[in-house]
Amino acid sequence: MNDNKRSPLKTLSRIWSGYSFVFIFAAIFAAYVIVNSSLTWVGVTNILRHSAVIGITALGMGLVVITGQIDLSVGSMLAFVGGFAVMVFNVTNSILLTCLTAVVCGGLCGLVNGVLVGKAKMPAFIVTLATMLIFRSLTRYICHEIPATISGGSNSLFKLLSANSMFKPFYNFGNSKVFTLPVTGLFLIALTALIVYVTTSTKFGKQLYAVGSNERAARLTGIDVDGRRVAVFVITGVLTGVSAFLWISMNASVDPATTGGSYEMYAIAAVVLGGISMAGGRGKCVGILFGIMSYTIIDKIIVALKMNTLLNDTVKGAILIVAIIVQTMSPVVKEHFAARRARRQGA
Amino acid sequence: MNILEMRGISKAFNGVEVLKNVDLTIEEGEIHTILGENGAGKSTLMNILTGVVPMDRGRIIFRGQPIERPTVPLTEKLGIAFVHQELNLFPTMKVYENLFLTKEPTHRLGALKKREMIARSRAFLEALGVEIDPNALVSELRMGQKQLLEIAKALFFEAKLLILDEPTTALNNEEIDRLFAILRRLRDGGTSFIFISHKMPEIFALSDRYTVLRNGAFIAQGRVAETDAEALARLMVGPAYTGADVYRRRTLGGEALSLDRLSGPGFRDVSLTVRKGEILALTGLQGSGSSELMQAVFGALPVERGSISVGGKALAGRGIHAAMKAGIAMLPANRKENSVVPDMTILENTYLSEHTLSARRPHISRRAEQKKFDALKKTLNIKAESSANPVLSLSGGNQQKVFLARWLNTGGDILFLDNPTQGIDVGSKAEIYQLILSLAESGKTILINTLEIGEIQKVADRCAVFYDGRLIKLLPHEAIDEHTVMMYSTNAVETMEA
Repeated sequence: MNDNKRSPLKTLSRIWSGYSFVFIFAAIFAAYVIVNSSLTWVGVTNILRHSAVIGITALGMGLVVITGQIDLSVGSMLAFVGGFAVMVFNVTNSILLTCLTAVVCGGLCGLVNGVLVGKAKMPAFIVTLATMLIFRSLTRYICHEIPATISGGSNSLFKLLSANSMFKPFYNFGNSKVFTLPVTGLFLIALTALIVYVTTSTKFGKQLYAVGSNERAARLTGIDVDGRRVAVFVITGVLTGVSAFLWISMNASVDPATTGGSYEMYAIAAVVLGGISMAGGRGKCVGILFGIMSYTIIDKIIVALKMNTLLNDTVKGAILIVAIIVQTMSPVVKEHFAARRARRQGA
Repeated sequence: MNILEMRGISKAFNGVEVLKNVDLTIEEGEIHTILGENGAGKSTLMNILTGVVPMDRGRIIFRGQPIERPTVPLTEKLGIAFVHQELNLFPTMKVYENLFLTKEPTHRLGALKKREMIARSRAFLEALGVEIDPNALVSELRMGQKQLLEIAKALFFEAKLLILDEPTTALNNEEIDRLFAILRRLRDGGTSFIFISHKMPEIFALSDRYTVLRNGAFIAQGRVAETDAEALARLMVGPAYTGADVYRRRTLGGEALSLDRLSGPGFRDVSLTVRKGEILALTGLQGSGSSELMQAVFGALPVERGSISVGGKALAGRGIHAAMKAGIAMLPANRKENSVVPDMTILENTYLSEHTLSARRPHISRRAEQKKFDALKKTLNIKAESSANPVLSLSGGNQQKVFLARWLNTGGDILFLDNPTQGIDVGSKAEIYQLILSLAESGKTILINTLEIGEIQKVADRCAVFYDGRLIKLLPHEAIDEHTVMMYSTNAVETMEA
């Protein structure tokens, strides 16, 4: 700790421990380039497009994890909010109202989580496990009970009514490009930039780290710890609402049973791969973008290799384990070498 | 007959002698009090006796047998039990399970003989005169019952010598009476007790003999019946220590903070007025309520009754944020738990509090923050290479200065310092005293809660002594000396008057 020598090895190890997500991303991207004989610009920009929905959700998860909590409900919430937004579109034929519904409805779902965790002091794991079950079940129930004229599909599918005059513009928006970049991907980049700004350069953002790092001390510095807890869950809800809006604009439908399935797990995995500590208080939000893109590329590698896509999660899980070993091992390895040096000096 | 003899015990930590040739003899069937200020060496001596810490030199003879190398399992087996201040019970388990833990009788296949354990527990507790249901969950017991259970556990393992470390801290008067009655009966039955306490009335009510330690050395031993509270206080403190050369008298301003019959958890009916620019020390032994009072005024603990006014105006609203808006700042005790935000840099740790007051401007201007930090760094003489280094890279004293900077940064006029020199080296301590004085000179009102009387003499204009949750004496600067403060904080005064 005390020696301030700046050896190149030390600088490298500092960059490694702070930005390991970049190296992991680069390695996976390199693998993608190698296995993909016919690499195209469209293929590359599609990574962004396919990362958008889960990535925006994961940004919220990142904030929750920074405060030392977890949100398991985001996947179900995505389906719940998405289903609602589809029905609003089918009834009103308004893209703006659909977007507002998704964002507000997401925020309210997040508020439920936030109040139960922040104000009622219940453990986040339990609360969001419960709301995960509730959101999923309600989505399926509503879809089953609502007339097909509103749900737009069947009793097991929400579908944008293609008869609506705004259907085409809506669907085109979700699949449009700006300067060859998919618009959904731009949403992801813009929101990542916003969250990075909030977490690095605003008082609110720094308070989230403080809450996750030492809750008692944070409270005693005057930070409204409970309020911050509520806030991160509401933000996660709002971001999930944005994700849901993008999802329906891209897919024109929401399947109550499968949409957003396991998304909470992918979001957590991306956050962890992005170098954010599950213990709270540490990590960079820009890592989430790299984490989620790494996972999207893995999907594409598996397709390119013509492997069975059922193996997707095996590969993703394995890479998560390897990434965590790399991240957490570095202090252990350092300690090992320090101890060895000390022994040698002692002898 | 002596059950325990400790002779010439010496111990040094990192070259610092914490015990020098200490002798201790305990007779069979007596309650023996060990007295000494914080840091006198009481706990090290007990840790050596129970085998937690190895001694450097000395002899221990227990029941006629020398113990060459005490270890925890060995001393436990011989019958020495340490009943700690923080209880070592398992709250989610039942009383009888706690009693029998690791020594459970079992059937051949390993199933527990529950009925037998319950029956034996009940018989044992009844014989002891302790009213505890063996089937109750420990978490459901009252504090006094838990304390008794802890003692019962030691006796259950046939302890012959029990060390009780401030056993009455969490008990009410009735529970204390019941505990003492049981201890006396056990003593008459031949069990010996080492009693560690700061409370003079209890010492005189319960113990037979005493040993006084000061600065790691044996000072005196004798029969309690042949001495009085004042003599004991003098033995604990030693020749009056005066090093008040940094103190400077200042002219004080008008009323800054006033408490009217304030009650809360751990303190009651405290009325107090502090003037602008004054340094008021709060003191009292552990659990006297002085720290709790500070926390309650700051909004970190609830206030049950009474009122707080700042600058003549009643404090609007409750909670930490309301207190901060009124200009109150508090540097809490236990730096590691209550101040350090370990994942953040020095700069970030410095600006956190101020940012809760200026939350309306959400953007952090790094340059402006750095400028403010540089000014504070100069005022407080913080030795840090870069404000971007982690706060944990600093020494304890410098960390504490960063947290002082955190609160000066808020611009608060009333500073609460709860045990500010805890775990800080001597050099930094002196610097902090100077700082406190110059802050007061610049018009800050300072309340400092500390157990170190030497510290109070150095800085305080007045000293408020707390005993058992009440403010029992306000001493002017001239009257602050270790002996007087110790007299009031152990309530020796009342004992003598009675």
